[in-house]
Amino acid sequence: MIRILFFATIRDLTREKETSAPPCPNVRDLFLGLSAIYGEAFRREALEDGDVSGRVIVMVNGRAIAHTGGGKTPLSDGDTVAVFPIIGGG
Amino acid sequence: MYGWTGKVLRVNLTDGTTRKEPLRVKDAEAFIGARGLGSKYWIDDVKDLSVDPLSPGNNLLFVTGPLTGTMATSGGRYEVVCKAPLTGTLAASNSGGYFGPELKYAGYDLIVFEGKAPKPVYLYVYNDTVEIRDASALWGKNTHETTDAILAATDPDAKVSCIGPAGEKGVLFAAVINDKHRAAGRSGVGAVMGSKNLKAVAVRGTKGVKVADTAAFLKAVGEAREKLAANPVTSGGLPAFGTNVLVNILNQAGGLPTRNFQTGHFEEADAISGETLSATLLVTKKGCAGCTSACGRVSRTTGKFAGSGEGPEYETAWSFGADCGISDLSAATKANFLCNELGIDTITMGSTIACAMEMFEKGILTESETGMDLSFGNADSMVEMVKKTGLREGFGDKLAMGSWRLATELGHPELSMTAKKQEMPAYDPRALQGMGLEYATSNRGGCHVRGYLTSPEILGLPQKLDPDSIVEKPGWLKAFQDLTGSFDSSGVCLFTTFAIGADELAAQMTTATGVPYTADSIMKAGDRIWNLERLFNLAVGFTKADDTIPPRLLNEPIPTGPAKGKVSRVPEMLPGYYEARGWDESGIPTDAKLEELGLARL
Repeated sequence: MIRILFFATIRDLTREKETSAPPCPNVRDLFLGLSAIYGEAFRREALEDGDVSGRVIVMVNGRAIAHTGGGKTPLSDGDTVAVFPIIGGG
Repeated sequence: MYGWTGKVLRVNLTDGTTRKEPLRVKDAEAFIGARGLGSKYWIDDVKDLSVDPLSPGNNLLFVTGPLTGTMATSGGRYEVVCKAPLTGTLAASNSGGYFGPELKYAGYDLIVFEGKAPKPVYLYVYNDTVEIRDASALWGKNTHETTDAILAATDPDAKVSCIGPAGEKGVLFAAVINDKHRAAGRSGVGAVMGSKNLKAVAVRGTKGVKVADTAAFLKAVGEAREKLAANPVTSGGLPAFGTNVLVNILNQAGGLPTRNFQTGHFEEADAISGETLSATLLVTKKGCAGCTSACGRVSRTTGKFAGSGEGPEYETAWSFGADCGISDLSAATKANFLCNELGIDTITMGSTIACAMEMFEKGILTESETGMDLSFGNADSMVEMVKKTGLREGFGDKLAMGSWRLATELGHPELSMTAKKQEMPAYDPRALQGMGLEYATSNRGGCHVRGYLTSPEILGLPQKLDPDSIVEKPGWLKAFQDLTGSFDSSGVCLFTTFAIGADELAAQMTTATGVPYTADSIMKAGDRIWNLERLFNLAVGFTKADDTIPPRLLNEPIPTGPAKGKVSRVPEMLPGYYEARGWDESGIPTDAKLEELGLARL
């Protein structure tokens, strides 16, 4: 299974902190599946032009997918995917 | 003048005299204000750079910027500048709230305190009226009691910046606290204030700030504010969750320093996160003067850690949370309240307790010395140690030295998580390569607000840099350091840089002051400020060898979490950084660089 963690305002869209999903090929496909579960508001935030949106920061096992192939980042059984909105602080 | 008031208030505490003098205009244009101009004034006035930081010869400055108190984007900042007792570097500690603007409204760009008062005093400024008043009855009171007493004795609309017991007792990381909850926190500026018998500065001003071209200024401000409003950080994450929204993302990246930087992943991070704070302790959010983000948190705790106040920020939730192995957010928040009341820097306080906890667990410290169990995760002991440190009671008297002196005295300097003797904040350099270089090269020692590469490395702003890569980091860091120097010096909050940059600052500065700044000259001013600070450090004996971080981070791979196996590669990046800065291979600015910036060696 793939473990998926949600943070900050993403939790407002999913109404849960985490979930799990069966293995799938990549992050884009995972997000398509999650959009079917969480609905339109999640889809609008997480997806754009059929791929992962620039409005979210996504990490797979701690590595931002921006540096590993974006939505095409492959997923394996046992991976942890973390989903954040764009945030800042300090 | 426009933007600047053009007036300096100089107070000699030794003989009790005050005088007003014109601002050095050329220096103001070149070094802007606040951090930059304050550093320039300190160096030119004190001359003996080797002065003992806790002696009367160390000047203490409260310095605004030309945009402080104007309608500029989040223009509510000021800086406390002196030589730092914790580090031996220059201290320039930035704070928000409402004190800085009030100083401008009273008609002053900066106040310079010289000497030492023979007995406790406070300064009261009401526009042109300046009085040094007896503060004997305030000595020993905390910052809230002090503020209330001074407001009752002066004007309920005055703004008060003061020290608590920690500053009076020379805690080397004592803070200056204004408006009860905002801290000029780092490097021990509060201890310097205490060493001068100066309990507080109270200011009431009614004059306003003149800008050069009101219509053009409002247009520049409006355009910048539109960018802040459209930005997901400054209009979304910061208002909703405060800075503590960072706990989870740093933890997920494996860069949340845990148990004195022994690892970069805290298994209970969500319990101390901004999300949890919003859902549990948060009463309301609060902004500083002129701010549209309002990242401040007003909080209330109940139970055995009952209290109320403001905070915690991310760095504080981390220092008293993950770094001490504590998952009780109420305990961390209570520790934050106590630091504000006692006048203590939360980053160094938490990190020093974490260092003591590691030494306790390793048997270097025993319960007979500490007076209580100091195991990681012991929230009761952590909160008690904050109290004892602020009052210098029991083992708190040792903690008051900061972790570097404490660990060195016990024969284990390697367990102090410091750069240039100042505790590093909440980003593990093994998981964020750029932040390691930032810590190593920060002119005031371990610090996150001197070139915040976390922004591109983790948050993807303004573009996404791979935190594991060392490529391009030196050049990026130089740019961030220079931009930060100018923002800090202008009086505008650094957090606006999530949405705006040198162009927007130049537009606001030009229309406010009438001095034609460009993005290039803003960056060059930041470069000038950075090099001035560097020249100070070189003059007092810092060398290339000090541009480093603790050996743990260079040699011990992170043992757990998403960044497992990684170490910091600072030594590989340092030569490229010196080159990007125009310094020689020893980290000394070249003659050509100094000529370009109009600086002379000190």
